[in-house]
Amino acid sequence: MRGGRGNLRGVFQHFLLSLELNLRSKQAIAYGYLVPVLFLVAFGSVFRGETPALLGEMGQILTITILGGACFGLPTSLVAERERGIWRRYRLLPVPTSFLVGGVLAARLVIVISAVALQIALARLAYGTPFPAHLLLAAAGVFIVTASFLGLGLLIAALADDVPAVQAVGQCVFLPMILIGGVGIPLIALPVWAQRVSGFMPGRYAVDLLQLSYGKAPGNNEGYFNGLALAVIGVSAAVSGAKLFRWEAGRRISRSAWVWLGAALSAWIITGVAAALTGRLAPRQPPNAGYEAVSENQIAAITYDDLPGDAEFISRLSRPFNDGGEAEGVGPFAAKLKAWPPGRTSDAGQSTRNLLSVAVIADASRDQYEGEIARLVYNDLRSNLQDEQLCRVLAWIVLYPQEGTVITSAPELGLERQYTERFIRERTDLYARKFLGRLRGKIRD
Amino acid sequence: MPAPISVSVCVRNLVRRYGSVEALRGISFEVSPGEIFGLLGPNGAGKTTALECVLGLRRPDSGSVLIAGMDALARPGVAKELIGAQIQAATLQDRITPRRVLRLFAAFYRNPAPVEGLIEKFGLSEAADARFDSLSGGQRQRLFLALAFVNNPGLVVLDEPTAGLDPRSRRELHDIIVDMRRSGRTVLLSTHDLDEAHRLCDRIGILDRGMIVATSRPDDLIAATAARSTVVVRTVRPLDPARLASLTGVESCRQEAGRWILVTSNINETLFGLARCVELGANEFVDLQVIRPSLEEVFLSLTGRPWADSTRGEP
Repeated sequence: MRGGRGNLRGVFQHFLLSLELNLRSKQAIAYGYLVPVLFLVAFGSVFRGETPALLGEMGQILTITILGGACFGLPTSLVAERERGIWRRYRLLPVPTSFLVGGVLAARLVIVISAVALQIALARLAYGTPFPAHLLLAAAGVFIVTASFLGLGLLIAALADDVPAVQAVGQCVFLPMILIGGVGIPLIALPVWAQRVSGFMPGRYAVDLLQLSYGKAPGNNEGYFNGLALAVIGVSAAVSGAKLFRWEAGRRISRSAWVWLGAALSAWIITGVAAALTGRLAPRQPPNAGYEAVSENQIAAITYDDLPGDAEFISRLSRPFNDGGEAEGVGPFAAKLKAWPPGRTSDAGQSTRNLLSVAVIADASRDQYEGEIARLVYNDLRSNLQDEQLCRVLAWIVLYPQEGTVITSAPELGLERQYTERFIRERTDLYARKFLGRLRGKIRD
Repeated sequence: MPAPISVSVCVRNLVRRYGSVEALRGISFEVSPGEIFGLLGPNGAGKTTALECVLGLRRPDSGSVLIAGMDALARPGVAKELIGAQIQAATLQDRITPRRVLRLFAAFYRNPAPVEGLIEKFGLSEAADARFDSLSGGQRQRLFLALAFVNNPGLVVLDEPTAGLDPRSRRELHDIIVDMRRSGRTVLLSTHDLDEAHRLCDRIGILDRGMIVATSRPDDLIAATAARSTVVVRTVRPLDPARLASLTGVESCRQEAGRWILVTSNINETLFGLARCVELGANEFVDLQVIRPSLEEVFLSLTGRPWADSTRGEP
């Protein structure tokens, strides 16, 4: 490109100017730095009792900081300049508008990252919150979350006609994430439906990704999934925002705006569906909360319509039998199962998971007695636990499939094939609901 | 500041629609290197749209724009290196200073003009480090002009450059525009001020409802109209109406507020006859005015509408 060096010098100057003007704006300082500090103080007041304080909430606090700077600060500044005709003047420059927008985004990235650093430092000073345990992961997380939310900010700027509209559109993004997206209120405090809905919003992934750097040892796949989810959402929003970018006030958004808006929102849906299909939207419980915490409403909300039939290929279940399975030829297996230690642990929830795993392994390995083994498991559970307790346990397994551990192979029972943990957890849900449905009278035996 | 290279402008069959409204209906005009060319027309005539197409701010639906012989629509980045512009509805950040913004804009060009030289040339020395929102209207206008010169352009495009300025600032700006031509630059400007167009422009194109209805030198346009000159006269002693009506060239005469108003097709003969009439009657002139036809009459004759009606409500 002719004049490329001049262009880059100009873009860099523009980047510096954007930074300078932001730091000289009282409004920008208030929104970018002071309001996030108010959230920090609010969180600090609510979660003061934890040790160390705010360690479990830093993901939320940093996400709120980034959301404010990227989804309000960026579009407010862009739209205010557009309304005043500043971008109209920029259009006369011999440089593509995208270069200038890139400079503004880079400046905003610096501003948001500095606000995040301030929050981390203030949390340390005021509440003794430790610094992130994994600095590299923290840096990568902050960068990915900020870049993703800047993409959303660009889209908001493109859609909003004026500064008040930025506030309105921004709140449409901000408030749901704060209230039911796991950003303002922790996921574990939300009802199950809200936890599932949160999987369709980027805030949840941002919180999880940022919280990872404060956790124990990183390296599980969650970080990659969260990063990928944010990248998909951020890139789709940024592309849509760039396509719809308006450099002058009064220029209406075109009809194609709906298509691009749809493209950006579909990224949220795709991400949520992917999370649901990979079992990532399983409801989370407060630490140490077991099946006893499951409420009657939660049990009543469980559905059974989509279960396969008992004689079908998946999750077979034989007709009831009462004689210990002798007539059906599973008497020896029943005896082994009664003596199987994993089915007799002191934790009823874990024992039930283990026994359900046996039914799943038999089913998956196409054992000749797969249906009868499942029936034996059901009978065994009923003989060991009261119906009400068993209902809670089974509901807990349905609602929180990622909790506890599962058995992936049981050679001591003659079930030698090995299956993945994910597979066992998915199939366990089917048997848990079949058994629960029978106990609750929803499925006829 | 190095001497700029004058550039030509050639606009051909430019069409631009906004929905069902046709803002430009196939306009064509050419501007020679070193010339001041004015697009003259009332509000809504399409002047700003035409300039925006030349500047690359708006893409025409059809037609071509050549800047220095180069296709400006195909190579807008290169064309913008040659053009300096002052446009309407564009402003700057409140907290930015003239020196800072001139440095910023200069950084985008390959051969920028020295910033300090621009500050001096446009009389911004005292306000160079003042915030934009503290500048007066005249200072802002000079700053925008300085920005138009930041790349030492061969073509300067000015959209209604004197709109909203006080008379003194307007005169200063006229001097600067004339100086642009003196320094060899090509100037393309739009205005709805007939007097400004007549005084500044080498040639004008009269734009009405998206079409150019005439292009020529202002005096040639006036000369080509059928409009007549008017003589307004007042004397110490009364004049004889019959004698006035019989003067060579006089087509009509009437008396208003003690003055005689003569419409003539031959201004020289009428004035000569009038002088003789006064002398022979031992009379004496108190007041004598000659009102030549103006661009206002040109517009009326070309469009069939009075200029005042077309510009009603304008500032």
